[in-house]
Parts: sequence; structure tokens; C-alpha cells
Amino acid sequence: MAIKNYDELTSMELDTLREIGSMGTGNAATALSQMLGREVRITLPEVRIMGYNEAIEWIGGPEEITAGVLVKMGGQINGIMLSVQQIDFVNLVLESMLKETIQDYSELAELENSALVEVGNIMISTFINALSGLAGVDVTLTVPAFTVDMQGAILAVPMAEYGGQSDYIMTIGGNFVCDNKQVPCRLLMSPDLRSLNALLRKLGVSDE
Amino acid sequence: MSDKLIIGIADMKMAKGEGMLVTYALGSCIGICLHDPVLKLGALVHIMLPVNMEAGRKTPMKYADTGIRETLRLMESKGAKRNRITAKIAGGAKMFEVGSSSLGNIGQRNIESVHMNLKKEGIRLLKEDVGGSVARTLLFDVNSGLGCVRSYGRPELII
Repeated sequence: MAIKNYDELTSMELDTLREIGSMGTGNAATALSQMLGREVRITLPEVRIMGYNEAIEWIGGPEEITAGVLVKMGGQINGIMLSVQQIDFVNLVLESMLKETIQDYSELAELENSALVEVGNIMISTFINALSGLAGVDVTLTVPAFTVDMQGAILAVPMAEYGGQSDYIMTIGGNFVCDNKQVPCRLLMSPDLRSLNALLRKLGVSDE
Repeated sequence: MSDKLIIGIADMKMAKGEGMLVTYALGSCIGICLHDPVLKLGALVHIMLPVNMEAGRKTPMKYADTGIRETLRLMESKGAKRNRITAKIAGGAKMFEVGSSSLGNIGQRNIESVHMNLKKEGIRLLKEDVGGSVARTLLFDVNSGLGCVRSYGRPELII
């Protein structure tokens, strides 16, 4: 049965999506680890289906400033992937790659921005590569877009994009652990409903 | 000032006499302040999309057209007069520049739909702070009818 809303997913379907999240973030962590030259592990991957306002609380409140890298997926799977980079993550990247840290996002200049975009883009691409291999689907990705602003407005981008289909947003993703410290890097994949159905069918957990 | 009412996404709240209505982090979404200065009755709606095409229409406040219409209806049921009600709006930004896709046009479409629906309902738009690429937090004082827009990296703006 094809689902009409995200909250209709069965536990078997959710497990499958969690598996995708696990593979995807695992690959992204390996890529991140190579870029930073440090060990990076992942914590338990999560699949979450949240109401809009619940999702904004979950990410840490609407007004908090964060950096966001956004890539749009096309081809056989349509959706949005976001890398939401809070300040601890930003500093981990900048310290490893440029030997500097910042106190505030206003200190970011072109060089720092491009480092963050690159890291976000590589993590997103490796995540999607894992997904595309696992499910045997072709996914195209747009050039990454970058912004530094209130995280509520960043998270509202996938919500608005699929808001006509659902009152919920689904995210697949996980957190990273580096040097035994939890680094809040949220890698979120939000597929549209039709693509989600197609994906579940390809993975053999949805009949028809 | 202490009685601050927070309006989430696809939500609306009203206050009369005294009170501050707040909605956080408007990206492509739009916050619409509607005000009857005689009653000092104010409403703030946080819409996300331009046109309601849902079959069930369970969430009218998610959309510009049904959100404005429903809020006006509720204000009128509290005694507000259509010819006195004025509007101020903020939001409709484009958060990400993504190639040629339709993504990011939602902000612009929201602005156009809000303009059109206010006009259709005969509501005068007094002031606005829309478009661009910044997120906005909108505060609306129902007593004075003044709005305040807070953004990252930009001074506060009174509308």
C-alpha cells in the first residue's frame, strides 16, 4: 500500500529507512573523518516524523543561528538534503582544516564558508551514494547552496517544499562523535512522498 | 509586555487591548499582522504556502488564502469592522539560491498571494518587509499596532 502521509509508515518501513540512515551517515562519517584527519563515528541513526513546530524544537529552537548546506535531489528520488552545522561542528571543521576557530558566525569569511560548503556537500554526496547503491536508484544532485541564518527558517525549507502534501516532515539522519565528543552535525534527508513510496518499493518492503 | 503569545508555523493567535504576538524565524513563510485600531484587536498568522489545495482543509492557517480569510472571519466575530482592519506583513525570503529549480520561489509566490488576497478581502496593507534572503522574527504589539522585525546581521526594523 502506498502511503499518503508520513505518519502511515509501518515499523518495517521505518526500520528500512533507519537502515538507509545508518548506511548513509556511516559513509558520510568516513568521508568526514578523511577530510578532518580524525576519527569520526556515528551515533544511532534516527528516522523522525515530526510536526513542523515539533521539528523546530527538536533542532534546538527557531532563532539559533546556524550554517546550512542544502542540496536538492532529483532523478528517481526527489527530495532535499540538508547539513545543519551548529557552531561546535563549524569549529571542528575550521580547526582541522584551517587551524582556526570562531566565536560567532559573523567571523566567517569566504574561505571558511567554502570549507563548510565543501564538507557539507561531500557528506551529502556520500550519503546519497550509499542510498543509491542500496536501492539501485539513480539520484542527481544540484550544486550545494549555503546560508548562515536562523535554523528555524532553514528547516522550514523542506517543510514548505512538501507542505502541500503533508503536515509532517520526515527526516533521516544522525549525529557524529569525534574525539569522544558528540558533535551536533545533523544530516537530514527529506524525500517527497512519491519518492518515498518508490524507494520503499525498490527496497522490497512495500507491496505492489 | 509580559504576556507574549507565540505563534508557530501554520498557526494564528489573537489578542485584544494589550499583548505582544511573536512568530519566530520566518524564512519563505510570511507573518501577517491584522489590526483593528479602534478595538485594539490584533491577530498574527504564520502562513507557509500561497494557495490551499487540500481536500480536507484541516489547516487553513497554513495557506495565505484560507489563513487570511479565516482570521478576518474570527476577527469580525469579535466585533472588528472590515473597513478598519489594516495589515502589515514580513517574510517571503529566499533562504537558498538553488540553480534553476522551483525551490526558493515559494517566498515570492507567498508574497504575491498575500498581496492578492489582502486586496481581494479589501484590507489595506500599511507596511511590509518582504523578500531578500534573510530570516525574520516578527513581533506585533496589538495595543499600538506596531510591528518589529528582527533579523540576523541587520538592525531591527519597525513596521
